[in-house]
Amino acid sequence: METVKTQDVTFNDLAWKIKYTPDRCTMCGSCVAACTFNAIEARIERRSITVSTGHQPEPNQRHIAVPVIRQKNSVANACVGCGMCEKVCPNNAIQPIRNEDSRLNVVGRAGGNPLKRGGRTNLNAERVLDKIIVGRISQMTDPSLDSERHTFDVLAPFGRVLLPQELPFSVENGEIKMQGWVPPVHWIYPLIFSDMSIGALSTRAWEALSLATAYLNEKHKMPVRMCSGEGGMPVKLMESEYLKYSIIQIASGHFGWNRIVRALPKMKVDPAGILIKIGQGAKPGDGGLLPAAKVAEHIQAIRGVPKADLLSPPNHQGLYSIEESVQKMFMSMNAAFKFRVPVAIKCAASATSVSVYNNLLRDPYKICGGFFIDGIQGGTGAANEVSLDHTGHPVVSKLRDCYQSAVKQGSPGRIPLWAGSGVGMTGNAAADAFKMICLGANGVFMGKLLIQLMGCVGNEKGRCNACNTGFCPTGICTQDPRLVKRLDIDRAAQNIVEYMLAFDAEFKKLMAPVGNSSLPVGRSDALVTNDRAVADKLSITYAC
Amino acid sequence: MYRINTLQNNERMSTQDLLQAINAAIEAGESDFSIEASGQHDIGGPLWHPEGKKLRFTVTNPGQRVGCMCLENTEIIVEGPASADVGWLNAGGKIVVKGDGGDTSAHCAASGKIYIGGRVGTRSGSLMKYDPLYSAPEFWVLKNCGSFSFEFMSGGTAVICGYDSKEFASVVGDRSCVGMVGGKLYFRGDGHGLSTKDVKVSALGQDDIEYLSNGMTEFLADIGRPELMAELTCWDEWRKVVPWTYEERPKKASADILSYRKTEWVPGGIFGDVCDDDWQVMGLVATGKYRQRVPFWENMKYMAPCEFNCTASIPSQQRFNLLREGKVDEAYRLVLEYTPFPGSVCGAVCMNLCMDECTRSQVDISAQIGRLGTYSADVQIPTVAEKTGKKVAVIGGGPAGLSAAWQMARDGHEVTVYEAHEAMGGKMEQVIPRSRLPHETLEMELARIEKMGVRFITNYPVDKAKFAAIRHENDAVVVASGGHVTKIIPWPGHERIVKGLDFLKAVNRGETVKVGKRVIVIGCGNSGMDAAVGAYQMGAEQVVCIDVQRPAAFQKEIDHVQELGGELIWPVFTKEITEAGIITQTGELIKGDMVIITIGESPDLSFLPAGIELDRGCLKPAADWSVAEGIFTAGDTTKPGRLVDAIGMGRQAALAVSAYLTGTQYIGEQKNKIPATRLKTAYFKKCHSCDLPSAKEEYNRCISCGTCRDCHMCMKSCPENAISRIASKEAGGFEYVVDAGKCIGCGICAGICPSGIWAMYNNAEAINMYKIV
Repeated sequence: METVKTQDVTFNDLAWKIKYTPDRCTMCGSCVAACTFNAIEARIERRSITVSTGHQPEPNQRHIAVPVIRQKNSVANACVGCGMCEKVCPNNAIQPIRNEDSRLNVVGRAGGNPLKRGGRTNLNAERVLDKIIVGRISQMTDPSLDSERHTFDVLAPFGRVLLPQELPFSVENGEIKMQGWVPPVHWIYPLIFSDMSIGALSTRAWEALSLATAYLNEKHKMPVRMCSGEGGMPVKLMESEYLKYSIIQIASGHFGWNRIVRALPKMKVDPAGILIKIGQGAKPGDGGLLPAAKVAEHIQAIRGVPKADLLSPPNHQGLYSIEESVQKMFMSMNAAFKFRVPVAIKCAASATSVSVYNNLLRDPYKICGGFFIDGIQGGTGAANEVSLDHTGHPVVSKLRDCYQSAVKQGSPGRIPLWAGSGVGMTGNAAADAFKMICLGANGVFMGKLLIQLMGCVGNEKGRCNACNTGFCPTGICTQDPRLVKRLDIDRAAQNIVEYMLAFDAEFKKLMAPVGNSSLPVGRSDALVTNDRAVADKLSITYAC
Repeated sequence: MYRINTLQNNERMSTQDLLQAINAAIEAGESDFSIEASGQHDIGGPLWHPEGKKLRFTVTNPGQRVGCMCLENTEIIVEGPASADVGWLNAGGKIVVKGDGGDTSAHCAASGKIYIGGRVGTRSGSLMKYDPLYSAPEFWVLKNCGSFSFEFMSGGTAVICGYDSKEFASVVGDRSCVGMVGGKLYFRGDGHGLSTKDVKVSALGQDDIEYLSNGMTEFLADIGRPELMAELTCWDEWRKVVPWTYEERPKKASADILSYRKTEWVPGGIFGDVCDDDWQVMGLVATGKYRQRVPFWENMKYMAPCEFNCTASIPSQQRFNLLREGKVDEAYRLVLEYTPFPGSVCGAVCMNLCMDECTRSQVDISAQIGRLGTYSADVQIPTVAEKTGKKVAVIGGGPAGLSAAWQMARDGHEVTVYEAHEAMGGKMEQVIPRSRLPHETLEMELARIEKMGVRFITNYPVDKAKFAAIRHENDAVVVASGGHVTKIIPWPGHERIVKGLDFLKAVNRGETVKVGKRVIVIGCGNSGMDAAVGAYQMGAEQVVCIDVQRPAAFQKEIDHVQELGGELIWPVFTKEITEAGIITQTGELIKGDMVIITIGESPDLSFLPAGIELDRGCLKPAADWSVAEGIFTAGDTTKPGRLVDAIGMGRQAALAVSAYLTGTQYIGEQKNKIPATRLKTAYFKKCHSCDLPSAKEEYNRCISCGTCRDCHMCMKSCPENAISRIASKEAGGFEYVVDAGKCIGCGICAGICPSGIWAMYNNAEAINMYKIV
């Protein structure tokens, strides 16, 4: 008899329990072979009983030793609910079940280490966007548009937009001429594939995103842009024509920038933009984190680092104020690309976001080409759970505050507002993007849904979220070649392309009814909510 | 001919009045109308004559929806142009507009004919349908259409003749045929902007030409332009448009990443400089180098608990395996490689540490490993033919010395054992009661040692001089003189104490020793129990055994004493010994007229040469068991211990001596116990103690921890048939191997192996995908 003590961790302490039906199992071993978390194992079970089959007590002992699949009883081998076992089981004999009475939060910190994971916040996953509906539909009022046939300008600015009077026009010999420098502005698709780094994603996943981006541009004329994330750019991409679809990120660790700088003379085209990352909605106030398990050889090469836990500082070491950021970082990034490439900045949404935006609006050099606000529902490849679940700011009201502040100052759209976090959390990114745009965003950015399209099974209810471990069962968030090879790059890209085509159609299905041919930026009159508080906070119509 | 002029005296008839007037006239039997309209809507339908006569309208200047919902048997001729929605929902009438039509001409027409002698506006022909109960609608236009024509068209035929339309980019207007799913469109001239996702464009076939030729004459005649016949019937200027069928339509958006990546994308991929990717896609279950984990057959990597706990390291699981294989003699001989006393010690007086943690005890009770020794008591093994020519002396013929001598003789050395007593055996001979250690067993095993070539010299106490001589005559000496000086604690009255060792030796010699009526034994180890039993044998009435801690004696020995009436008390701390007995530190008196002490012995090493260091009276050998050049030691000379400890040390010292004599390196024993989690006891049915087999049949109960029991469970359970058993030079003559090409790394072998031989490790085979460049 095995002695089990109350303080022993057993699988009913873990977040996921394996439900196993031995009658259906053929011991083919697929589930165990597929599990990257080493969370299940084969064992032998004793099935010894004394039965009586006679007309009176006639003890008859039956002993049988049965092979079974069993969950491991340890935090280190905890099941994360990815469901690969269920996926490969030919007989539907095994599946992970969410444990309502999980004590993982209690026992998981044994050893004195904070809990770490990837994914999104699991605690603040409630969505305001779902309380908002597109309530002002053209019904015999404005001419409604037909989403199938109408020509829509689904385009958003990335770059500093000047007011007409600021443009350097002059009249020469009766002709209008523009002389002098004008800040670069690219009109791009209002959904940016947001910054997931080459450390966070596998080579195949990152390249699938690049492929999808290029394909949408070249075959479907959708000017989608993809942000590199912090951590460098593949050199061959920088030397290719496809660089024009890339927004290159610089964050506090400046990882990978040596190779970016050295690639400058070899660039045939300019990148689409530069994004200075100050903070990230998933873990505001905390820097990037790439666990050693994911620092593979190519990461070491591109980043110029040894195999180790790579932490970026929470702040850019050389920046001390908003003004200094504008002067130094915006200037350096504009200068590096000869003032031809728009430069924007991304901050975690915060109680102070409006102040930051107001300050940027005063930018005297007109080199601030966009303000990206990332809310608490943003995703990450690795963070302390305390940061994921307990820090951050909902993005919707903050976006609205910034937009209204710009309106009050008479300058909406001069520094385009881009908002993200949780876009596509329910699977319908078009609705989320549309509502955000109506509330004042020029465009939105989205990451998590893209990897979900590639095959990521993680969600906001604690499923998987093991992006930080290197054991990603889908080969997306890992640098282990054994797992990376699980990912079909073409299917991954294909899924994204097809989703984006649907997104485009769905987005137009929302633009048409409100009668907008161009993006309805700030058309909050198109929105209603049945939540009084949301209506009040966002200044949209309350309806019930 | 019924005429209506809708303008009378500058008064315009309303649409309602006009339509009611027409209705009244038809009711009155009129069927032929000439209407000078002034923009009135809906002229011409839906109307029918009470007697079924054909209705005919000649109209000028109509408003919107002329001929709307027109029924068959109605003909409408509009002299000049018409406004929007000509023939809207036409259900069978014939409508001829000699001038231009407006927007959405023929919108939703489902039957009948609509002829337009000029141009039509935007969205004309949209949503035309074909009802299979009736004839299909026809829509003929002499010139061209505005944009978005034929949207959602699903039936009927439209003909756009493209006359006088050179100035337009497209005779069907921009973005024609969006959403078209049925019907046919013919056009002449440029058809730029057609929705190619909905329709396909082709040249005319014979059927098409036939249809158009036939229809053209009537159309041109009706609109009054017969002279255009030749110009409009150059059929190579015409094109036919039909929608893609449901089957032909792509159900998915057009996207083909695979061919894009292969033909247009950055060659070798964007990470090509730092990543060699073959783009192979592995399934969730993989074999060979893509397995996540790999099984290893780790036979005998770990010791079974019996082997681990036995201080002589006897691998009893191997003995049971040999028995299971039917190799009985080999099984019984195997133990002799570890001890010369399997009968005297393992099978008789050993406390059998081997059985303490026997994995079988988790199922029911430990395998009877100790008893197994008795089967080896009279087993003989051949002497060693090859001698080394080296001479070794052993001082002391007890378990340590004889163990060393046995091993050294088996190594081919010439061994002499010097014993002070008159018989060999040390404490086994002198102290342990014959009731516990049958003397004939001991004698048998001593004889076996002698037979191996060991020379016994008894009655030979060694002093300094003799030792020097022995050392001189031998290549090495093993000091194993044991501990024979009884420890006594100098309590007040300690001179009254009888030394347990002396008492037991006397009993074993068969002497009659005078004992008291009430005897107190200090020390409740096995020696204490032996002394208590001895005291009863010598006539004591009551024996009380005391100890400062829980009695260390075997339960069996304690039971024996208690059966005789003895009493064990602990913890008791002695303060003083008096005539009346022992006074404890708490002041109690334990009555007794004789006190025997059995709390251990220390060695007498006075015979050793100067310069050999002692620690609290004991020798402190180096890691190779040496205490000086060529002088080794084992057993109670180093610290008081059990018989099995002495035997284990004796063997190790012998190995060290052999290494010394052959100039090799002695490597001390490394002992790793198998982790309990590797063992699977579920296979084993619980056995009632009354069902226990004899010890030599215990191989069925032995789990064979850490040593393959060759049960084939792994082979038979492997879902991929990846495991096979092959002959090998490994111990046992076989090994199990894995075919990496079949193995998926599921770990079922490791999960079900009863003996814990298989273990899974992360696949260490490198996949050279990424590089630092």
